Amino acid sequence: MAIARLSNLSYWYPGAEEPALRDVSMLIDSGLTLVTGPSGGGKSTLLRVLNGLVPHFHGGRIAGRAEVEGQDVIRTPTRTLARTVGFVFQDPELQTVYDAVDREVAFGLENIALPPGEMAVRVEEALDAAGAAHLAGRSVRTLSGGERQRVALASALAMRPLLVVLDEPTSQLDPEGASMVLDAVGDLVRQGRAAVIAEHRLERLLMQATASVIVENGSASGDWPVAYSPPAIRSTPSRGGAVAWSLAGVTAGFGGRPVLDAVDLTGHQGEVMALSGPNGGGKTTLLRLIAGALSPIAGKVERRPGRIAYLPQNPTALLHRPTLRSEVSLTLERAGESEPPEAILKELGLLAVAGRYPRDLSCGERQRAALAAVLPGRPGLVLLDEPTRGMDAAARAALVKLVSRLKDGGSAIVIATHDRDLRAALADREVSVSGGQVKESAMSSLPA
Amino acid sequence: MNARAVAAWSAACLFIVLFTTNPAYKALVLAAAIASLAAGAGLSRMRGLLTGVGLIAAFATFLNFISAHLGATVLFELPASIPAVGGPYTLEALAAGLSGGLTVAAAIVAAAPFSLMLATHDVMDALPAALSRSGAAIAASLNLMPSVSASFVQVSEAQRLRGWRPRGPRSWAEVVVPVVLTSVEGSIQLAESMEARGFGSGPRTALKSSPLRKSDWFLVGASAAAVTTFLASRATGGAPDWYAYPALTTPAVDLASLAACLLLFAPVVAWRSHA
Repeated sequence: MAIARLSNLSYWYPGAEEPALRDVSMLIDSGLTLVTGPSGGGKSTLLRVLNGLVPHFHGGRIAGRAEVEGQDVIRTPTRTLARTVGFVFQDPELQTVYDAVDREVAFGLENIALPPGEMAVRVEEALDAAGAAHLAGRSVRTLSGGERQRVALASALAMRPLLVVLDEPTSQLDPEGASMVLDAVGDLVRQGRAAVIAEHRLERLLMQATASVIVENGSASGDWPVAYSPPAIRSTPSRGGAVAWSLAGVTAGFGGRPVLDAVDLTGHQGEVMALSGPNGGGKTTLLRLIAGALSPIAGKVERRPGRIAYLPQNPTALLHRPTLRSEVSLTLERAGESEPPEAILKELGLLAVAGRYPRDLSCGERQRAALAAVLPGRPGLVLLDEPTRGMDAAARAALVKLVSRLKDGGSAIVIATHDRDLRAALADREVSVSGGQVKESAMSSLPA
Repeated sequence: MNARAVAAWSAACLFIVLFTTNPAYKALVLAAAIASLAAGAGLSRMRGLLTGVGLIAAFATFLNFISAHLGATVLFELPASIPAVGGPYTLEALAAGLSGGLTVAAAIVAAAPFSLMLATHDVMDALPAALSRSGAAIAASLNLMPSVSASFVQVSEAQRLRGWRPRGPRSWAEVVVPVVLTSVEGSIQLAESMEARGFGSGPRTALKSSPLRKSDWFLVGASAAAVTTFLASRATGGAPDWYAYPALTTPAVDLASLAACLLLFAPVVAWRSHA
């Protein structure tokens, strides 16, 4: 018998004229169900139906039927469904209640008033099942993103749910963290649990999935997705032009503690430099130094005059104008450029949502919206911090095209990214930043 | 360390410092709070707090000095025609301001162990069952604070690079609005996550209970004795009030009230092992 069943389900967010889900019918059984589809297609909304956050938390109108383990989702509050359906969200930082790992895992059990003795057993069991037993007793603040998501998974498992739902749990993580989480999901499925996961990184999951749903424009189909393949486009390798920026003997850090030590590095116009290296290695600090947002403790930073386009790690935080179009116009006006805002919106596949409030867009669309907000016109220096987080394949391809165009136009580009495919598609130079040191890797594809 | 014992001590400090107008007792409470916090959290963790408290106390003192043109001992005078700040500047206003600054400083430092020495869940566990749901909500929002401050730095930096320049209060909207919106969205997502884990189902239990140990009982006892002694001294005519105006006088001190304030140094013994 199916664990969850949706029948002709349609859902409208409050005030929306168009439904976010259209006449969706599907069955979810044990094993791993993959939910895929383009950004803004309705994946997150569909997942939220399974534990009743839609409609109980988000409001709006709903039609049709949704049942999980015989419980009518539309009539059962989320806090009751929490015993049957565990949920893991995208951002590991925004789902933590307590600052101690074991307390965090116990939060749900405390809410359902489990006796403390039984709670301790369940916490241990859940941490073990999520591959996070070694994290017991740690402070959540000291954990990496991947470790935090494992704790989030353990928190969901502690309730002993019949179904675990994961909404793009790796979108905010580096490759190492993502592997950590996907390994844990694989283990769960091998243990015989039912899981539903929305995810862009399909390579590993496709092997284990027992069912698949593609959600596009609010409609769901049972087709199988195609695994992500790197963009076929490859920007023409270049040795670059004149020096655009340089760091000479630069030491930088915070509170007197150096994060980068005696760095010498130079970037050129018409060149893409990719920064790689572990989290906390100094990539963001290096970008901020080049941008002039951070002053060095020692050494000299120089850059050619001209506009700087900087995409921070959490780019959606920038968005605050009433429409996406006005967000792009603001940057263009300030830069004194005459390009119409529609040009970059079209390039990033956002023309259809140009009149919408940027914060109402889906996660992946917001990421592209932030890129559109900082990259229009002809910036002299482009600094991008993890630009592909949470991006689907189409958005990545659009980003590769856009960066290639800017490079061909003479922009000096520096991208801090864990994304190997992006580096392979764009980088003229690769620089590894780790432990305060920078080291350039040889690139074989450059013309002599 | 038990949050209830810490709460008892903080409450005793706050009670005395808010109950008296005598700066001698306020200074003693402040000294007890600083010494206790240094014993429990260590001086290095207190630096930021002490700087902030010093600035706030100095501002409170300064504000009273420039706004209360009362008292017999005039230090200097600005023409009365100058709006707001014109008039005599007196030693009494300065002393009254210092006394107010002491109150603020002592109150902040006495409450600081909750943030510097206790984890959020320690505080939550100490709450009565009826308040545990509110406590969980507060704990969750406290956990969001670091991300809000990080977001402020990130947004102001990114907006600056996008061409924004701070030109008057209205221009700050471009930084403040995104930070507020991001924080609100973060809160909503956290609320969603709490709901998805059964928050609001009914009465809650806690993974761990935190019983009062000997050192906690010692602290509770010392705090209760401090308040009782101070009140008793006051009822029998001790712990006299002090007023800066109209002419400055030396604050009177009685032994019982002094002893009450000295009892507030109890955490120096009880918390030493936490440093």
